[in-house]
Amino acid sequence: MASIILPGPRRGLQDQVARLHWPLIIMLSMIAGAGVATLYSVGGGSWSPWAGTHALRFAISLIAMIVVGFIGIRYWMFLSYPIYAVALIALALVPFIGDVNMGARRWIDLGPMQFQPSELMKVGIVLALARYYHGLRAEQVSHILFLIPPIVMIAAPVGLVFLQPDLGTAIMIGATGAAVMVLAGLSWRLIFLGVIGGVGAAVAAFRFGVLHDYQLKRIFTFLDPDSDPLGAGYHLLQSKIGIGSGGVVGKGYMLGTQRELNFLPEMQTDFIFTIFAEEFGFVGAIGLLLVYLGVVLTGINIALRARSHFARLAALGVTVTFALYVLINTGMVMGLAPVVGVPLPLVSYGGTVMLTIMVGFGIALSAHMSRDPDGTTL
Amino acid sequence: MSARVNSNDPEKIEVISRRAAIFGGGFGLLLAGIAVRLGQLQIVDHQKYMRLAQENQFNTRIIAPLRGEIVDRFGKTLASNRQNFRVLLIPDEAGDFEEALVRLRKVVPVSDDKHAKILREIRRTQGYAPVEVVNNLEWNDFSKVNYELPHLPGAHPEVSETRDYPLGNATAFVIGYVGAVTDRDLAAPENDDQQVLLRQPGFKVGRDGLERTYEKELRGVAGTMDVKVNAHGRVIEEIEDSVTPPVQGATLGLTIDADLQLAAMKALEGESASAVVIDVETGDILVLASTPAFDPNIFTKGIPSDLWKELNESPYKPLLNKPLGGIYPPGSTFKMVSAIAAMRSGIPPSFRVRCNGKFWYGNRFFHCWRKEGHGTVDMRNAIKHSCDTFFYSCATQVDVDVIADTARKLGLGETYELGVPGQHSGVVPDRAWKKKFYAGTPENQIWFPGETLSVAIGQGSVSATPLQLAVMAARIASGRAVRPRIVRFRGDLELPTPTAPRIDIAEEHLTLVREGMNAVVNEPGGTAVRSAFDNKEWKLAGKTGTSQVYRITAEERARGLTKPEDLPWARRDHALFVCFAPYESPRYACAVVVEHGIGGARIAGPKAKEIMTAVMTKDPARLKPLSPGALARTADASVGG
Repeated sequence: MASIILPGPRRGLQDQVARLHWPLIIMLSMIAGAGVATLYSVGGGSWSPWAGTHALRFAISLIAMIVVGFIGIRYWMFLSYPIYAVALIALALVPFIGDVNMGARRWIDLGPMQFQPSELMKVGIVLALARYYHGLRAEQVSHILFLIPPIVMIAAPVGLVFLQPDLGTAIMIGATGAAVMVLAGLSWRLIFLGVIGGVGAAVAAFRFGVLHDYQLKRIFTFLDPDSDPLGAGYHLLQSKIGIGSGGVVGKGYMLGTQRELNFLPEMQTDFIFTIFAEEFGFVGAIGLLLVYLGVVLTGINIALRARSHFARLAALGVTVTFALYVLINTGMVMGLAPVVGVPLPLVSYGGTVMLTIMVGFGIALSAHMSRDPDGTTL
Repeated sequence: MSARVNSNDPEKIEVISRRAAIFGGGFGLLLAGIAVRLGQLQIVDHQKYMRLAQENQFNTRIIAPLRGEIVDRFGKTLASNRQNFRVLLIPDEAGDFEEALVRLRKVVPVSDDKHAKILREIRRTQGYAPVEVVNNLEWNDFSKVNYELPHLPGAHPEVSETRDYPLGNATAFVIGYVGAVTDRDLAAPENDDQQVLLRQPGFKVGRDGLERTYEKELRGVAGTMDVKVNAHGRVIEEIEDSVTPPVQGATLGLTIDADLQLAAMKALEGESASAVVIDVETGDILVLASTPAFDPNIFTKGIPSDLWKELNESPYKPLLNKPLGGIYPPGSTFKMVSAIAAMRSGIPPSFRVRCNGKFWYGNRFFHCWRKEGHGTVDMRNAIKHSCDTFFYSCATQVDVDVIADTARKLGLGETYELGVPGQHSGVVPDRAWKKKFYAGTPENQIWFPGETLSVAIGQGSVSATPLQLAVMAARIASGRAVRPRIVRFRGDLELPTPTAPRIDIAEEHLTLVREGMNAVVNEPGGTAVRSAFDNKEWKLAGKTGTSQVYRITAEERARGLTKPEDLPWARRDHALFVCFAPYESPRYACAVVVEHGIGGARIAGPKAKEIMTAVMTKDPARLKPLSPGALARTADASVGG
């Protein structure tokens, strides 16, 4: 193997479409479809204000994913550091030119559209780390000197996002970056040290008041949700009531009483899984989780069949991000994780996260489409 | 990195494949954990969460109780609850609200003002909160709305209760009125457990009179009903079999006689006046009339500001409860007090004074009302002719403290437990009072003998309310310390007639005063012969009074202004009359005060006669008053029927 990527033959559009990963697209569409249906119910049986927009945004995001997928993976590798740099600079600029929304400064207003640099960073960190490890030899991965660049690459955006303040996204970026490092082959000894260090940092943050009051409260509430049933624990309790009262087969589509009676806040975003589980029951919720599992396994499969180390790591990285979203959100609404404001991917209402996820899978799709046609595995 | 790195280094592929497998497996395990948790919530604990969801949905709603009724001594309704047919519009159900309103206007009359007001109101309220479009509808209009209902989106015809005072302004000052709940009501500690009830739309509380005093008893106990609500409290469904019915407030039975009250109001019509009639044995107030009066039925709906302004600015003071809160110099009606005080000080009834129209005392003349004088008068005739000179003469020998003590024994200078707010105690002056009154200026605290002369004819500092004058007449008539009352029973609780011990005044003194009062009305030459009953079987005993409001100056007299009619209304003298009947065996006492009525004999006396004629004709003391038990039986019967 002389070159990093073999330049593939130019292919026609029809050929390209045939090479799309259709099972992935179908599974993602199923999840988004569940989102549209649930948002239709949350909207009281109406396309507005959420369901219609959600469907439209998914269509746009799907096109974006396919466009990203059509671009060869070597171009993405070439663009990985620049994308990371742009995201980091934008993050650094947020405190100066960003818009304040609900006490946090997260957005940059670009005239007709708003731009959230922390979302771009979720893809950027995966690309940059994948690019970095692409260039390392196996034995260098756990070498102490080669640990410094990735740690700096992760710490810089995590710190900036934490200062916005957006604890949820900071954790997501940090966890994604750490996951890519682990996937790249970090030695177990270092992983163990990293976990110790992470726990230490969390305790320190807790002890020295780095966290905001509402962040602390959420953590306390997570530890003892019944302590404050009408305050911070109220939402969680209402969410558990919604899920629990759904039973095995659910109350029926558009028949959820917790939804009908508006007991849940943020029903269209963070707590949408509650509504889904209330109306479709255990059967429906498990079905949705299985589709998520399918998407994650597909992502892993694409990665393992990719032809370059960058492609493998990038595909795995975006899949990890996706998996973290699913675990944190579903854990959160059932009281297994603190309420940190992480949406359920492709189901929760919200355009930016949807675009991030779909563009991420676009990278995976690109890896899939740039693989050796013979598909050598392992 | 010196050497070119092989991207597909088998070692790297092996590591990443292993790690990817661990990631996939780990994700699968964690997802399985999520699934287990899901099963725990949705299958194991399903019942528990189902119950919690139910509790979320169902809420207890208050059913407002009916307010207790107020009835007169024979059960005639003075305050009750009337069905109020109204139409509400719920914006959420109306679709296009403005169009729904226009459609409704085609069926029932809604003024343009009200229409504009509703449109303003709608902007401030939540979409599910009903807005009242019309109330107090006629049955015809109301049934039309019900008939047209399928074509009136969002319209809800509803029957609610509204307070009704059938006697209108006649009982305004006794009963008061109810009004909307204010922030102050909500903040009051006694309402702590009533917040939910008080916050019911359209709930009313007593604002004045007995409605205010007996608010607690009249309010009743709220009932409850379970309803299905959403998180914002909007009612979605009512659960019929969960109802705990409300308990109506206690009925108040009054001593007032509605017929006589109306008769008194009629007698006083057109004047700024008050009348009180008391049963001299029980102290029951049969009449407590004040004119002009407001209509409490209007006040209950919220007082229009222009009406409020008009009532406040009227010189006739239609907002003042005159029998209880109006204070007047008693004038000559005070002479019974002076006569008794004189006898208690050792002046015999046979004491004679020659009246030539004025009495020199100190360094000035005290004038008798009759410039020509009365000639020689004894005590009985002094009352009969209301001779001021006689009482000036007595006053030179009587200490003011004895006069004050006598006045207090006869019921002046104190307030009574009636339950009707706004009572004034009036002033019974004596040395102690003056000392207290001029506490800041010791040089003014000395009592001058000349002041006693003014007090003896009911002028100077002395003042009294019509209620107190009626009590005085009742005590003279019965010789007992009668205490007036206005509430006979409260729910099932019959309030005992207060005991009235004999007053500490010798019977012969009272007898002489009664004889004098009889002579005033029934002997030729008495000041109130015009007020004798037409029915000669009855005898009224009374005393006139004219109390000076403004002293005509020498300059005005020089200009030829001598007659009180020439003065502006507000400067004319007050006309008073106190009386009791029948003379031989007294049962009813009455006081009438006509503000700026000029003459007690000419104006107040005839009105008292008219009222007392009605009282004697009905003779309510002869009739058995309603007992609370009888009321309960009537209610049962009506339920059964």
